[in-house]
Amino acid sequence: MATPSRTEIISLFRSLLRSARQFPDYNIREYTKRRTIDSFRHNKTLSDPSSIAAAFSDGQSQLQVARRQSVVYSLYAPKIKSIMDVKP
Amino acid sequence: MASALRAAILGHLRVPVLANGSNLLTPLWIHRTTSVRSMSSHDDHLEKSQVIDRILDIVKSFPKVDPSKVTSEVHFQKDLGLDSLDNVEIIMAIEEEFKLEIPDKEADKIDSCALAIEYVYNHPLAS
Repeated sequence: MATPSRTEIISLFRSLLRSARQFPDYNIREYTKRRTIDSFRHNKTLSDPSSIAAAFSDGQSQLQVARRQSVVYSLYAPKIKSIMDVKP
Repeated sequence: MASALRAAILGHLRVPVLANGSNLLTPLWIHRTTSVRSMSSHDDHLEKSQVIDRILDIVKSFPKVDPSKVTSEVHFQKDLGLDSLDNVEIIMAIEEEFKLEIPDKEADKIDSCALAIEYVYNHPLAS
């Protein structure tokens, strides 16, 4: 696959963050956000096209995982919301 | 969407009143009728000052940002030294605060506080 463009990378980042919102569980939501931000920042300095493409496809497969898991988690959503979700 | 239509209709209706009725109303009254939609019983549009305050709070609470530099005219990348990933994060936080869904094309254009405030203020579904 050809090297992804800047807009594609930003779009993947945004899709991953949006997928995080679908989770009913606070912990997983925060983890997804934290993990995507950390990994994108860590890979920001990559300059080798093949490693950029590899990281991009890795990100895409993680996006698919997140989307599937949000559906599965929603099937068995906890009835009691996490304390962090309750606004004071 | 209905409220945007309502705003458009009211904008058109308001013009004839000001054109020939201004000498009957006191200056204070004129301000009231121009800034408040007197015909709607349920005003669900946000005040611009509220929008500005909420957006500035979001930007200031971003960990990489120096709160003292944040004004409503700052540019995220030029003035605050953020990069495009931080840009996306801030726009996500704004989406969550105002319960909006900003499409990618619009979100890519939002580069500064001023643009964000404009976008949210003009969005009919912001809350």
